[in-house]
Amino acid sequence: MIEELLQSSPGWANFGIFFLLGAVLLLIVLGFVTYGILAERKVMGYMQLRHGPNQVGGKWGLLQTVADVLKLLLKEDIIPKAADRPLFIIAPVIAFAPSFMVLATMPFTDKFQFADIGVGLLYYIAVSGLTTFGMLLGGWASNNKYALLGGMRAAAQMISYEIPLVMSVLGVILLTGSLNLNEIVAKQEHGWFILLQPIGFIVFFIASIAELNRTPFDLPESENELVAGYHVEYSGFRWAFFMLAEYVYLFAMSALITVVFLGGWLPPLAILGFIPGAVWFALKFSVVVFVYIWLRSTFPRFRADRLMEFGWKVLLPVALANIFLTALIKSLFF
Amino acid sequence: MTFSGEFLAFMGLALVAIIGGVLLLNLTKVVHMVVALIFTFVAIAGIYVLLSAEFIAAVQILIYSGAITIIMLFGIMLTKHDDESEPKTGKWRKILVFLGIVGFAFAVYIGIYNFNIEQVPTTLHENNTMQIGKELYSKYIIPFELTSVLLLVALVGSIILAKNEKKEADSE
Repeated sequence: MIEELLQSSPGWANFGIFFLLGAVLLLIVLGFVTYGILAERKVMGYMQLRHGPNQVGGKWGLLQTVADVLKLLLKEDIIPKAADRPLFIIAPVIAFAPSFMVLATMPFTDKFQFADIGVGLLYYIAVSGLTTFGMLLGGWASNNKYALLGGMRAAAQMISYEIPLVMSVLGVILLTGSLNLNEIVAKQEHGWFILLQPIGFIVFFIASIAELNRTPFDLPESENELVAGYHVEYSGFRWAFFMLAEYVYLFAMSALITVVFLGGWLPPLAILGFIPGAVWFALKFSVVVFVYIWLRSTFPRFRADRLMEFGWKVLLPVALANIFLTALIKSLFF
Repeated sequence: MTFSGEFLAFMGLALVAIIGGVLLLNLTKVVHMVVALIFTFVAIAGIYVLLSAEFIAAVQILIYSGAITIIMLFGIMLTKHDDESEPKTGKWRKILVFLGIVGFAFAVYIGIYNFNIEQVPTTLHENNTMQIGKELYSKYIIPFELTSVLLLVALVGSIILAKNEKKEADSE
C-alpha cells in the first residue's frame, strides 16, 4: 500500500494520508511509552518486593503515567539565565526527532511497514546516532558543570558502543547477504539468528543497553554522581522530551532486536502459523522489553573508567572474532 | 517543469542545506556554527536519498553527522568554547567579494543554461549497496586496501601521540 502511495502523484489527499499514518504511529508509540513506564515501575517494584504505583487509576495504577505527564505539562518552563537560549530550546527536539525517524524502516509485520529501503539496518544505526547531539548540546547549553559532564559521558559512551553494535550485526548481514530488514526476517524462516549468531546477539544486546543509556550503563544520567546528568537544568515539557526520546528508543531497539535476532513476525514453528504475525511480533517484543527492565533492576552501575575499557577491549574484539568465525562457517558450510 | 513530490522534497532539503551553510558562515558562536553544519550534512544525506543512493546517505549521516561533528564539538567544548569570531569589515574586501560573487553567478549561469544532460538508462540505482560492494572488492581492491592501511597508520599514530603525553604528565 505504501509503495503505491509513494509512487502516486502528490496532492493534499496524499499528504493527508501520510500525515494520518504518521500520527497513528506516534499515538501507538506514545501509548507504548505510557504503559512501558508503568510496566517498568511495576516490574521493578515486584522485583524489589514492593508494589509499585497502585493509587492512581485502580489497583494497578493504570493512570499513574498519565497523571505524571499532566503534571509535567503544567509545570513552569524554566530556562536558566546563563544558558545558551537557542541551543537549550532546540536540544530536546534534536534528541527526540531521530528516535521517531528510525521507526520508519521497522517492519512490524509483512504489511505494516512505512519505508522498505535497501539499507534499513544501516539507516537505523546512522539516524539513532544523531540523538547524541541532542544530549551533548543540551548538556552544553545548560551552562552547568554536571550537565556538561553528563553530556560528555553520553557522547563518549554512545560513540564507543556504536562500533561493537555495528560489528555484531555484521555476522547477521553476512549470513543474509542484505541490509534490508525484510530480507533479514525472511531469512530466519528456518532458524532465528539468535541461534545461528549467539555471540553476535550477546554483544549486540550489551551494546544496545549502552546505546539506550539504561542501568548498567546509565552513567550519562547517574543520579548519585551527576545529579541527573545532561538534563539537570531541564524541567517540564522539555525534560519530558528527553525522557520520551529515551523510551521511544527502548521501543525501537526492542523492535530491532525482534526483527534482527528473533525472527520478526514469523512464528517459531510452522504449525503455529495460524496465529497472526502481529501477535508473534508483540510477544517477542514484550519479552525483549521485559529483559531490559529485568536487567535494570538487577545490575549495579559500571564505573566510568571500566566502561570504556569494556567497550573497546572486550566487546569490540569479541565482535570482530564473531565476524571472522561467521565468515569461516559461511564459506565452509553454506 | 513538473511539480512533483520529489521536487518539493528537493527544494526543502536544498533550502535547509543552503540555510545551514549561510548560518555556518554568519553565526558568531562556534557551537552554533557546528549545529548549522549538522543541518547541512543531514540535508545533503536527504538529497542522496532522492538520488536513490541510500547507502551513501546512511554513510554520510553515520560518518559526517555522527562521528566527525561529535569530534569537532568535543574539541570546541573542551577548549576555548566561548570564542566568538570577529566580523571582518573592509570596504575593498566587500567590493571584491561582491564582484567575485557576480562573476561566479554569471559563469555558472552560462555554464548551466544550455547544458544538456543526456538521459542514459542505467541500473545503478537497483541494489546499489551490493553493486558498491562488488566494485570495491573486485575493481578497486588495491585503493581500498591502501585506504585502510592509511587509516590504520593514522590510528596507531594517534595512540602513540596520546601515550607520549601521558608519560610526560607522569614524569612531571
